[in-house]
Order: sequence, then structure tokens, then C-alpha cells
Amino acid sequence: MTSASAASLTRADTASEATGAAGLVAQGVSVTFRRGTQVIDALKDVSLNIPRGTRAALIGASGCGKSTLLRVFADIVQPTSGTASHYGLTPAEARANRVYALVQQGSTMLPWRTVIDNVALGLEIAGTSKPERLERAAESLALVGLKGFEKSLPAELSGGMRQRAAIARALTLRPRFLLMDEPFGALDEITRDRLHFELLRILEETGATLFLVTHSIAEAVILSDKVVVMTPRPGRISQVIDVDLGQHRTPATREDPRFGHYELMLRRALHHDA
Amino acid sequence: MTRELWMGRGARILPPVVLVAALVAIWGWSAATGLLPRWLLPGPGAVLHEFDVSRAVLLKHAQVTATEALGGCAIGSVLGVAAAMVMTLVAPLRQTLYAYALASRALPLIVFTPVLVIVVGRGIVPVMVIVSVTTYFPVFLGMMRGLERSNPDRMELLYSLSASPTQILWKVQLPSALPYLFAALKVAASTAFVNALVTEWIAANAGLGYLVMVSGQYFRLPLMWAAIFSAALMTLALLGLILLAERLAGRWTQQATEV
Ligand SMILES: Nc1ncnc2c1ncn2[C@@H]1O[C@H](COP(=O)(O)OP(=O)(O)O)[C@@H](O)[C@H]1O
Ligand SMILES: [Mg+2]
Repeated sequence: MTSASAASLTRADTASEATGAAGLVAQGVSVTFRRGTQVIDALKDVSLNIPRGTRAALIGASGCGKSTLLRVFADIVQPTSGTASHYGLTPAEARANRVYALVQQGSTMLPWRTVIDNVALGLEIAGTSKPERLERAAESLALVGLKGFEKSLPAELSGGMRQRAAIARALTLRPRFLLMDEPFGALDEITRDRLHFELLRILEETGATLFLVTHSIAEAVILSDKVVVMTPRPGRISQVIDVDLGQHRTPATREDPRFGHYELMLRRALHHDA
Repeated sequence: MTRELWMGRGARILPPVVLVAALVAIWGWSAATGLLPRWLLPGPGAVLHEFDVSRAVLLKHAQVTATEALGGCAIGSVLGVAAAMVMTLVAPLRQTLYAYALASRALPLIVFTPVLVIVVGRGIVPVMVIVSVTTYFPVFLGMMRGLERSNPDRMELLYSLSASPTQILWKVQLPSALPYLFAALKVAASTAFVNALVTEWIAANAGLGYLVMVSGQYFRLPLMWAAIFSAALMTLALLGLILLAERLAGRWTQQATEV
């Protein structure tokens, strides 16, 4: 699982690569859940290296441990064995320093807060002044196409709009590292398409590293430089596929014959595992 | 739900009003025909008349009871909410005290009233103490439950944002606990006046409970019933206030629309 080809494709700072300042690293991570007498190996000996600035997708059947791996990096789940780190920090340090931003599966909102106050939540917790956090939240909302819904309550939004709000909340933090758990799941095709390229543009601007959990093969290919394929029971990584579709992606990228080739490769990888 | 759709607000409050009117009519009829002995329950006319002639007396005693019940309810609620918040923030405290807090609910607190009277004397104070304590428990327990049952995804979100326990408490747990708090407040409010009345029998020389006891002893049945109805009306008023507050806090309490 060398990152040689991925590194050459990404905006990863080659100097920091050379000095060994790693991006997202997992070394022999295992997570075992115990529910009564039932023992679930959610992750088994997972090792991974996503260099800085890489756009990585994590794909696999549902229940194969994708969310668990993401939550290990987010310091929500503690590995039973092995270690995880980002930018050389432990997940706990990364969380304390707000190095990453998490978009949860299910776009959690605080229903009693307006959309803008939900989006500004991270900055509010970090102690950012009210005018600044509202300004930045409004910017992020505009970015995800939710301008005009600042004062709405989450219950007044559609599922897709709430997902966009959750993405906006993560973006206001200007994270170096974006952890997303199926963030486009509830979106219609058109919105999803638009947001894919918005996300790519934002990543390009901020140079953030993306670690995205997805169910969708097409989404994994269009968004990432590196696709990590997982298999269930026990959850482990079966393949890492480097997607060589260039740095800058457009809707036309999907017409590139290589796009279909990567789709097929992933489909085979997933079916082969199943 | 569909009923609400075609029934206007008027249609919704009509049935209970009709029920009360019917009950009063039956009461009046049974009193008039002698079916209901006058020494047990005088007719509605007699009770209504008593409200008029004894207005000053009723008002004086109602004021005492209202002070005890509302004051006790307020003190108990504030303490209950505060204790639940502190226990949520301080894990060792919760681990050592929560079980006792649950168990102490089994104590019939009202039996300590005579002891309380010896310590603080008769009057408003012991009654208010008992009402506070009886309010404290449902509010504390309801609040604890609400704080504990905050949506795990929301807790996780705040945790991922590196929020402190205090921030998590204020921004997620407290708003999430509000529906539980209101449910507990309704329970507390519905018993506050009853508890005040009963405690007054032992611990006070004034108040509606005292008036019920004394007028009963002197066979002034209309006055006794007027006092009982006064307490009931005040209970309803308090419940109404809580319902109003709950409605005003609607954004926080309408969590059925889970997001
Ligand atoms: N907190 C938990 N307690 C017990 N089992 C869990 C927990 N979280 C996840 N699991 C189990 O671990 C496995 C992987 O879950 P998850 O990481 O959510 O999968 P995915 O996101 O790929 O669908 C599943 O079998 C799931 O039931
Ligand atoms: Mg998942």
C-alpha cells in the first residue's frame, strides 16, 4: 500500500512527505465490539496511509466497518489495538486542536437552533466572536447553496438541505482534514452532482485532506485520488486503488474512458470480495 | 391527529366543558332531590353563595396556600434542575449519590412534618419545605432522565467539535431535557397544592387546608367545599401556566419531529 502514485497525483506537500510528516495513518487498527456474548470484529488489523492533501474514499458494503474506521480517526471509537494518527497527532490531539471536521452519517442538527446557528456551532464552541462566526457560517451556507435559509429551523429543510447544512458546518471550521460519512446519501442526483464539484473546489482552495465514506462507486471515482475498498466480517481493507484522473475534475471527467475503467475496477473489487 | 385537522379549537374544548356542565347539573339535581345528603355535599348554589359571602376569608387563606405551593414548587424545581445539572457534570457525585437519590424517594416525607414543626415552628415555612421536597424529586428525576437520554448523535457531534462537558450540557443536554422537565413540572404542579393542604393540617394555622379542616369540624360544609374548589382552581391555573410556558418553549420541546 505505497502511496507513491497517489502522492504524485495530489497536492500533497512533497517536502513534508519527505520529512515524514504523514497525513492520515492507521497502523494495525482493530476494533472489537462486545454486545452481551456477541463479539463483533468491526475492524481487523487495518493499516492505511493517506498522504496530506489526498482525496480518499472508503467504500464497502454496509456493516463492513467504514463508519467505525472514520470514528477511530475522529477519536470517538478507541481502537482495541493498533494506532491511528493524522498529521502526526493522535486522534485525541487532533480533536482537541480541531484539526478535523466531521460530517456524520445522518447530518445531525440541533432542531431547536436555526440553520445558521447550527452551522456556526463549531465556531461557537471554539469561542469565535459572534459577528465573525455568523459571517463565516453565512459564507459556508452560500457555498452549499443554502443562502436564504439562515433563519429556518432544520425541521423546515428537506433531508438533502440538512445534509448540505451539515457540510457547511464542517466547512466553517476550515479543517485541514475533512471526515465525511456518506454525506451525499440523501441528496437527489442533481444536487449531489453539483455538491461533488463544489467539494472538489473547496478542497482545492483549502488544501484539506478528504476522507469520505461512500456507498457509491461513481462518487468514489469522481471525488478521489485513492479508493480504499473494505470487506466485512471482519472489517478489513482488501484493496487500495489509485485513481489517476488528474487533479482537476469536471463533469466531463466522467466521459473519460478511464472513468469507466475505474468504475469497473471498483465494481470487480467489491464483487470479488462479496 | 386527523381529528385535530377537522376539529377547530372550539370543537376541541367543547367536550370537556360539556362534561363539567353535566357533572354540575347532576350534582345540583342530586342535592335538590336529597339524593346527596346535604351534610356530605351541599348543592352548587350553596357553595357558590359561600364563595361570595366568605370571599375575604377564602382569599386570605388562599394567599397563604398559594405562597406555600408556588414558593415550594419554585424552590423544589430550581433545586431539582440544579442538582441534576451538577450530577451530570460531576461523574463521581453521580456515581455515589444517584442511587441514594432514587432510593430516598421511597421515604414518606410527609411523616417528617411533626419533626419539622418542632425544628422550625408552625406556619408557612414547614409547609413550603414539604412542598419543595415533594416537588424536588419528580423534577430531579425527570431532569436526570432527560439529560441522560440526549440524542447520541448530537452528543457525538459536540464531542467531535471538542466541546467541554459544560458546553455539551448547555447546548445539547439541557434543550433535550426540556420535554422531560415539563412533564415532571406538570406532575409536581398537580400535587403541590394537595401536599400543601395536607401539610397545613399538621403544620399550620392558616391556609386552605387549615380552612378545610376547621370548617369541617364546625360543619360549615359549603365553606369547606369552597376551600377545596379554590385549591383545585389554583392547581388548574398553575398547570395552565406550565402548559403555556411549554408552548412558548415549543421549539425546544417539539422533538417529536426528530432531525
Ligand atoms: N457502538 C457499537 N457497538 C456495537 N457494535 C457496533 C457499534 N458500532 C458499530 N458496530 C458494529 O460494527 C460493524 C461495523 O459497523 P459500521 O462501522 O457502522 O459499518 P458501516 O459504516 O460500514 O456500515 C457492524 O456490524 C455494527 O453493527
Ligand atoms: Mg456507516
